[in-house]
Amino acid sequence: MPGCCSCVSAFKPRWKRLVDNIFPDDPQDGLIKNNMEKLTFYALSSPEKLDRIGDYLAKKLSRDVSRHKFGYVFISMEALDQLLLACHSQSLNLFVESFLKMVQKLLESNEPELQVSGTSSFVKFANIEEDTASYHRRYDFFVSKFSSMCHSSNAGTNTKIKIRLAGLRGLQGVVRKTVSDDLQVNIWEQQHMDKIIPSLLFNMHNEPSSTTSSQQDQQNIQIDEHPSTVAETCLRDLTCRAAFGNIKSVVNPVLNHLDNHNLWVPSKFAVRCFKIIMYSIQAQYSYVAVHMLLNHLDDNTKNSPQMKQSIVEVLGECVTIAADGSIGPSVLEVFNTLLRHLRLSVDTRVSERSALKASIKKRISHFDEQQQTMFEEAIINTMGTFAAILPDYQKIEIMMFIMGKIPLPTRYEHSDATYPMPSVNGEGDLLLQNMLLKSLFEVGTKYTTVSMSTTFSISFLEPLLAISVAPDPGVRLLVQRIFHTLIDRHDNYHKLNVNNLSKDISELELRVEKCSRQDILFMKRYGAQIYWHMYENMNQSDNRLDNYEALYCTLALLCIEFGGDEILMELVRLTLALQELACKTDGKLSPIHQCVIHAVVSSYLNLISQLTAIPAFCQHIHQVIEERKQHAAYLLPEFIFSDTIVDSSYPTTVHVEDNLLFQQSVISEALHSTGHDVSRLAVPYVHRPSGLEYRQQTELDATSLNLEVESVNSSPGGVRKHPEEQITFESLKRALQSPDNEEDLEEQEKEKRQEILETFKSSTLDEIAAISEHRSQKMQIRLNEILDKLSRPRSRSSTPPRSPQLSLSSLPSPPLKSVPLYEMKFPELLVF
Amino acid sequence: MEDYKYLFKVVLIGNAGVGKTCLVRRFTQGLFPPGQGATIGVDFMIKTVQIGDDKVKLQIWDTAGQERFRSITQSYYRSADALVVVYDVTSFESFRCLPDWIKEIEQYASNKAITVLVGNKTDLIEDREVSLDNGTNFASTHEMRFLETSAKEADNVDKLFLDIAEELTKRVQVHEVEDSKDEIAICSQNHTVSATYNCCRW
Repeated sequence: MPGCCSCVSAFKPRWKRLVDNIFPDDPQDGLIKNNMEKLTFYALSSPEKLDRIGDYLAKKLSRDVSRHKFGYVFISMEALDQLLLACHSQSLNLFVESFLKMVQKLLESNEPELQVSGTSSFVKFANIEEDTASYHRRYDFFVSKFSSMCHSSNAGTNTKIKIRLAGLRGLQGVVRKTVSDDLQVNIWEQQHMDKIIPSLLFNMHNEPSSTTSSQQDQQNIQIDEHPSTVAETCLRDLTCRAAFGNIKSVVNPVLNHLDNHNLWVPSKFAVRCFKIIMYSIQAQYSYVAVHMLLNHLDDNTKNSPQMKQSIVEVLGECVTIAADGSIGPSVLEVFNTLLRHLRLSVDTRVSERSALKASIKKRISHFDEQQQTMFEEAIINTMGTFAAILPDYQKIEIMMFIMGKIPLPTRYEHSDATYPMPSVNGEGDLLLQNMLLKSLFEVGTKYTTVSMSTTFSISFLEPLLAISVAPDPGVRLLVQRIFHTLIDRHDNYHKLNVNNLSKDISELELRVEKCSRQDILFMKRYGAQIYWHMYENMNQSDNRLDNYEALYCTLALLCIEFGGDEILMELVRLTLALQELACKTDGKLSPIHQCVIHAVVSSYLNLISQLTAIPAFCQHIHQVIEERKQHAAYLLPEFIFSDTIVDSSYPTTVHVEDNLLFQQSVISEALHSTGHDVSRLAVPYVHRPSGLEYRQQTELDATSLNLEVESVNSSPGGVRKHPEEQITFESLKRALQSPDNEEDLEEQEKEKRQEILETFKSSTLDEIAAISEHRSQKMQIRLNEILDKLSRPRSRSSTPPRSPQLSLSSLPSPPLKSVPLYEMKFPELLVF
Repeated sequence: MEDYKYLFKVVLIGNAGVGKTCLVRRFTQGLFPPGQGATIGVDFMIKTVQIGDDKVKLQIWDTAGQERFRSITQSYYRSADALVVVYDVTSFESFRCLPDWIKEIEQYASNKAITVLVGNKTDLIEDREVSLDNGTNFASTHEMRFLETSAKEADNVDKLFLDIAEELTKRVQVHEVEDSKDEIAICSQNHTVSATYNCCRW
């Protein structure tokens, strides 16, 4: 037999003989290595024969496949692989054709072993870098087949996993092979992606549980990798290669798959998918994915709230990962979409509620409403994450945008159409108000105020103030919360507690910083409006305790942030007005409310007194508090804000004796003694009930205050007041000493003036001339001295050099108030 | 070197549980697997048949009927040469869904593909819910070829696929002739090709 064979083979071409020789008689023996080396050498030395070799091998292989001689099949494959790897890539082109044909042949067979082996050959091929273009190669079949393999439902668990793994690797190979080469088929086409992506995702969420495959099985075949991990890598691979135009073809199938397989709820898997996508996507395109999610949310408007909630959660996750890359060109669009969904959800809730009243399906409706609420919360959270990544100026924009959507109480509707404010109609708008304010709060927490005037532009502050006196206490509370987060620049909010009458404020470790001139201007302009609303807020008869707590915090924050001179006065004035309000017995406020206001006032004045550190002030506050402790504990926060208190423990009527009240006269005395301008304090705070009047009033106030500011600025000294300085110990000491000094100074001044007058009256011209000459010399010397000392560049001699003594005394601001610079008499030194 | 002359892709679609996989198994492997589980994603089978003098290879893609795999199965329609819409004669529900499937075909499949309506499970005579007339009428209104089969009894199964193979082969051969004609005629009549294709829908 062998002899006959060799006789026949003698007439075969050489390459055919070489190929035949690599096959052993018994397929069990495997590839004949020596002969294979010969074949490889031959193929390398005459590459023009390579395609014929491939052709011949392919024929042999397909014959073996159909005859079920699998041993030979594997040998052929091995030979092909070796040839493929050994040969130069230039010569591969035609050989590859037959190679791919063989792979296809293997994949077409029903034998799992052949499919797996075909795939691994394909993967080897995919890893070869080809440098010659191949225009005619098509991968349609491979994509289809590999995808189908990914879904294998073979009876044997291990075989199934092996086939699925092979399918995944095959897909990875196709992607690798095609994605980088423009001449190859466009793998990003929908028909391919619709196969690839679902196959990957299917394997990712179909993690085969280890319990189903028995221990023995696992030992038999080592499964080094889980299909789900391979699928994940493959998805990353794919996403990171996607260019701008291809993002859609990746994300769309993902969204579809999640829809089809109901994988949004719970959101765990969806989040995982999008995390993978967001982490591997090229950063500059990540916003596309975010936008597609938003669009998907739009498409599912009518879907269940749980599903929408999941989408929104996924969105939130994406945003955190992509950070500033996730917003893209249209920030407002994003917020608009989210707000619209919020609104829709609120509408659904309301209509459901009204349906509930009519029907009996109580439990179902209730359940649904809970889900809507959760959905709304998810939206609000996501808005928060969105806002967190925006630059500050855009945060302000967003806050104003949200503000514009909030339905305002009708009585504040503007006559001019700059804001078309929707009016409040019933339950729906109330809910919407609530939700939008929550969103606003969420955004607000992400924003850090630098300057008040940038945070609160008039078009933001006005509606916010307007809504702060909304009829619903919950809404009012929310607005105060928003104020807290926006006003509090130094993280003091959490240290503030209305129930704190301690005599030593330092233990709170409040961080107080000098407030800038801009902020003072801001308060001067809008202060009146803010005070009016604070007062109005206190005056609400349906306030709850937490409303009062919140109001206290707002007041306290105002005091800490704007602790300036005049603003302090205004705040004290407001507080005294509040005390008066609490004393009113017109029956608008219940006794409990009156007590609470008293308590807030006491706590607030205590805080102010501590902050100003004026002994007389502190003492008075302390005294009144002590007095209250003994005679009327219900006027103190300790009583009111403790948990054990019930309504019945309040007195039925509140008549507060004068000694239990904080006295305006005492306070202004104390403040005056430290040099504060208490003139404003003497004018009682008049609360105008109507919004319109107050607006005119504020405008008047604002202009007059502006004038004041300007006059101060243009005053000769130009020394700016430093409000914080008053509080320091040094300045207080100086302030206490200053009155005496001032009198002395004035007397000296008078004497000197008298003297000068005398000399001019009594002496002759020569004498005066001599004196003046002498003086001018002296002055020159002294001038030089001073200038040297200050090491200033010598300016024009007409610049009035101040005597050191004088400039020192003019530094602290409080005495300045009583002796304005322009009234000060310059010493005789400066006469000439 | 090829062991076949023509290659055609046939895609089976239809509601879950109408017997698509069984039809394919019966045709390709000659067996009827009892207790066949639901197909996941897409299954693939191959069968070479003899049509006249030519060997014709049929790539048969057996899709999952379940709704959740709809998006991946749809992607297979596009490249199909023939689409087999299967319903279960013992389930009126599966018949009722046929218009949806037709819609899917119109949306995703190439308009050159031929469509065949198949009523399966004729062996279950007692449970029949859809009459032969129903099927015939539906097929004629939608210009499809119609067959009733039984995968269990191997009734009409081979005929179904062989008919498809024959029809497709015939079309390709006509097309080849036309191609050569076109080469003779001036190429300005590009539209004729697609026109003939449209007529070919049975």
